[in-house]
Amino acid sequence: MSAEEKALVDRCRTGDDDSWRELIDRFGQKVYSVAYHFTLNREDAEEVSQEIFLKTFENLHRYDGSFPLVAWLLSLARNLCIDRYRRRKREKSFRFVSDEAVLPLLKSDDDPAAEALKKERTKLLFWALAEISEDLAEILVLRDLDGLAYDEIGKALNLPDGTVKSRLFRARAEVARRIRERHERRGASGAFQTLTLAAGGVL
Amino acid sequence: MTCGELERLFLAGATPEEARRHANGCATCRSLGADVDAAQGMVAGLVGPALPASLRSALLAIPRNNVSCEGAERLLPVAMENELSDDEQRRLSNHLSRCAACSEAAATLAAARDLAEPVAPPWLTARLAANRPVREKSFWRTLSAPKAAIAFAYAAAVVVMLLGFNPADIARRVSASQLGENTRAAVTVAESSLTDRIGAIQEKVARTVQVWKGRAGGYGRAALSNALGVIWKSSGPKERPVERPRNRDGRGAFREISTTITTWRA
Repeated sequence: MSAEEKALVDRCRTGDDDSWRELIDRFGQKVYSVAYHFTLNREDAEEVSQEIFLKTFENLHRYDGSFPLVAWLLSLARNLCIDRYRRRKREKSFRFVSDEAVLPLLKSDDDPAAEALKKERTKLLFWALAEISEDLAEILVLRDLDGLAYDEIGKALNLPDGTVKSRLFRARAEVARRIRERHERRGASGAFQTLTLAAGGVL
Repeated sequence: MTCGELERLFLAGATPEEARRHANGCATCRSLGADVDAAQGMVAGLVGPALPASLRSALLAIPRNNVSCEGAERLLPVAMENELSDDEQRRLSNHLSRCAACSEAAATLAAARDLAEPVAPPWLTARLAANRPVREKSFWRTLSAPKAAIAFAYAAAVVVMLLGFNPADIARRVSASQLGENTRAAVTVAESSLTDRIGAIQEKVARTVQVWKGRAGGYGRAALSNALGVIWKSSGPKERPVERPRNRDGRGAFREISTTITTWRA
């Protein structure tokens, strides 16, 4: 896979427009998705995505094919995303997640009640992600929201696979615990279970 | 919460069935497992935000509006010659405005043109001249120099003369019969010139000998006088000369000054 990706990068280096288009079509969606999950804002996500691909274009000669191209893209993207994430975290409104912010993440549903439930659940998820440390939050975003493999996350963040798994486990437990505690504080002890059960029937 | 078995099973890649089997007998892990499953369930139905078409267009245009660091490396030397097209110039400028490393390289190259020519210190010229390698002259080369050849000819003539021969006669005897008219005339001129010069040298040598004779006489007399003085001094006790009065530091003549001081009392 990496050899094939290296060949694609080499063709891009020669100025081949078709190869560059192939690279954008293969990785543009993934990079934009990661950027959006960190920023929760369309303009910011577009700006970060452009910056990531500009950096990628400028540094194509550095890619040696030793690990997946998406991990290399994310390693370039990581600092940008984390910078935005920290900047957003410093803002007072960081923990407030708007309806508009989560709408692009939801599948349209014919049932308005089910759609409203999903929207509330997603807002709750991003509220909880803002509550936990960014080391844990970024792993959960990359794995559960963006669907990256453990080795891709490990290469992108320069972490061993074991550490990635361990952080992911703790991140999930932390997110769930924060949500449960919030509901308990509000005296709606059954609400959390109701939300999660309605969402995916996991429990 | 002290049991870490559920996390250990997760890290080891255990199946959900194995995790559930442990959780059934451990209240702590049952609660933790419920939380983790709930969090996973919350993200399960989410989709990635769709890539906006305007963003895709902007991403596709990146190579048309920029150059990579690698590309900038190729364009910079051309830019130094002012031979870039407008499009290349625009793309290079875009890159330089973003990339600190390439911008620094471009500025350094541009600055190299504006450097002033260093002025040599005044001592350098003299030092270089002093250290210039000297070509040693060979003996024969020295002899063939015009002045040396003339001096050598005069010296040979003097030697011949001291041996009791007339150099002019020798020259005449050796070559007169073999020379042409013009050459003979030239030899005649040279003979007379050489005879004159030899006469002059003879006079000069005589004068020099006369001078050195006089000097030698003078030196001889002085040496004899010194020798007699030494003999006379060493022959017996001599009367000591009268010492002159000296100052306290032993130098110069001592002169006493007497002063009379008169005081008045009321």
